[in-house]
Amino acid sequence: MTSGRDGGRRPEGSAGTLERWAAILGGTALGFAGARRGSWALSALGGGLFLAGAAGVPLSSPLRQAALPALRREPTTTQANVTIAVPADKLFRHWRNVRHLAALFPHLDAVEILSDTESRWKAHGPGGVPVVWNSRLDKVRENELITWHTLEGADLPHRGTVLFRQAPGGRGTEVSLTLAYHPPGGAGGDAVSRLFGVAPEQQAREALRRLKRIMEVGELPTIDGQPSGRAERGGSRSRMQEVTG
Amino acid sequence: MRALCWNGVNDLRVERVPDPTILGPQDAIIKVGLSSVCGSDLHLIGGHVPTMRAGDIIGHEFLGEVVEKGPEVTRLNRGDRVITVSIIGCGKCWHCRHEEFSLCDNSNPQPAFEEAAYGHCTAGIFGYSHAFGGYAGSHAEYIRVPFADTNCFRVPEGVTDEQAVFVSDAVPTGYMAADMGSIKPGDVVAVWGCGGVGQMAMKSSFLMGAERVIGIDRVPDRLRAAQMKAGAETLDYSRVDIYDALLAMTGGRGPDVCIDAVGMEADSGAPSTKGLAIEDLYDRGKQALRLESDRPAVLRQMIQCCRKGGTLSIVGVYGGLIDKFPMGAAMNKALTFRMGQQHGQRYVKRLFEHIEKGDLDPAYLLTHKWALDDAPQGYRMFKEKADDCMRVVFAP
Repeated sequence: MTSGRDGGRRPEGSAGTLERWAAILGGTALGFAGARRGSWALSALGGGLFLAGAAGVPLSSPLRQAALPALRREPTTTQANVTIAVPADKLFRHWRNVRHLAALFPHLDAVEILSDTESRWKAHGPGGVPVVWNSRLDKVRENELITWHTLEGADLPHRGTVLFRQAPGGRGTEVSLTLAYHPPGGAGGDAVSRLFGVAPEQQAREALRRLKRIMEVGELPTIDGQPSGRAERGGSRSRMQEVTG
Repeated sequence: MRALCWNGVNDLRVERVPDPTILGPQDAIIKVGLSSVCGSDLHLIGGHVPTMRAGDIIGHEFLGEVVEKGPEVTRLNRGDRVITVSIIGCGKCWHCRHEEFSLCDNSNPQPAFEEAAYGHCTAGIFGYSHAFGGYAGSHAEYIRVPFADTNCFRVPEGVTDEQAVFVSDAVPTGYMAADMGSIKPGDVVAVWGCGGVGQMAMKSSFLMGAERVIGIDRVPDRLRAAQMKAGAETLDYSRVDIYDALLAMTGGRGPDVCIDAVGMEADSGAPSTKGLAIEDLYDRGKQALRLESDRPAVLRQMIQCCRKGGTLSIVGVYGGLIDKFPMGAAMNKALTFRMGQQHGQRYVKRLFEHIEKGDLDPAYLLTHKWALDDAPQGYRMFKEKADDCMRVVFAP
């Protein structure tokens, strides 16, 4: 799963792993975007890319030039925003306790505190592939801001900022989470998708949604485990739930 | 337990499924006593809502008894006779705290669908497709209710089961429709759709001071009930031109408040109504081809008929896109649009008081009480509006 970091060096005429993954992931994204907008052209392009990637068809010169630049922005920066009806100091304290973060990022397995500013993070990708990085705090402004970056050798090099601002009119706190990924082989966001099976935008958005729900209502509303006519035919777990995180 | 499952377009079956269990600390389990059909179920059953999954349990308007509760439920006890509002609020987010429960930020466990389609996610609803959370519905022997303290309400002694069950959905939806109309004394209110919600909107309009209420439908027994039970004057849109009739009844002004209690599967009237047969064919064709998800005939007619500066209050359900929306008429006539799924939790206490005082008796909506096992036939009868059926209620 880490082969995407080979930087795309490969013999001419066969599609490298990175390129294949980019095609598969990009194709999937385009397919969904096309379906969402009702655009058959976009869906078809996405489907084509997906198949090319899956079959290892080399997307040589012209097509590659046309299709890949948009998928290869480096670094990939993503931001999610949410308003939480809870004061900033409470949210700040919650975030500062790294034990709470595993509930926000389901791929996270363990966080080990190494010093006041450094910590070691262990996560897993699809099939349980381990993803490990060390992280250092850059700025911590009480009740306002936390920034961090990963150290040399990280499987998932990135910078992160979480910002807490008082919302107007007693609405609570506006929380922004910004994550900038710099994977060594390029293809920023795709590498994240590849590692976690979730697009980075969605990951950030879901993390803030979980934070909001935990802080506002004290639980994550769920339908996992409820009855349905499907349960008798094996497993009551909602497939949709897996897709949405 | 037994439950009514949706297995595909127009394919409903009563099946054996596992009993629900407490999944969150604020959940309660309700033993269902009565569970009603609702017009909005027909959109799901007919396949107009794309996120239904085979095996989903439907039904969202119900009354029952609390049999189990999570450790954080404090306002309910085992044995309480309760109704549950069909749309789920968490009780804690900004919207719930402002009594906009159907806009709850937190109760929908599957927000991605709505965020993609609508830009934001709204509240979860029982038995109402995965876009609205995928919660198992109430046409079953038991149902799990999340955030039970916010969503379950004890039924006062003086209110019967048959009256109370509709305070789950039909009564507050109709009441909210009238409430959004900001009705003033002397106002004339026209209500499109004489089903359960429409009739409750008519009754509520009178309670809020309307001078006259006009109900519009074409099903004879529903028009009769709107007259006899809700006290409305009625118009049969298959026989008269609605615009001409409404203007004649209001000195040419048009109704001050127009309420849509029909929604996305409206039809546009009889061939005799000028121009509308073509409009209806157009909308049905586009809907069949999935070029337009909702048929907006009622909306267009309301905009045309409404008094200048009047209010359109929309509680009939829409799911997606409409077209040929007469924005020019709406803008130049300075109309106000109010709409939304019901914020039932805001109204339940007031509605029980009206029922206890005798201002309102929704029990007449219950025209058929059947066993749960007969639910598929019940829906068929309800859909075909056969046997003077207003609402079938299942008693598991």
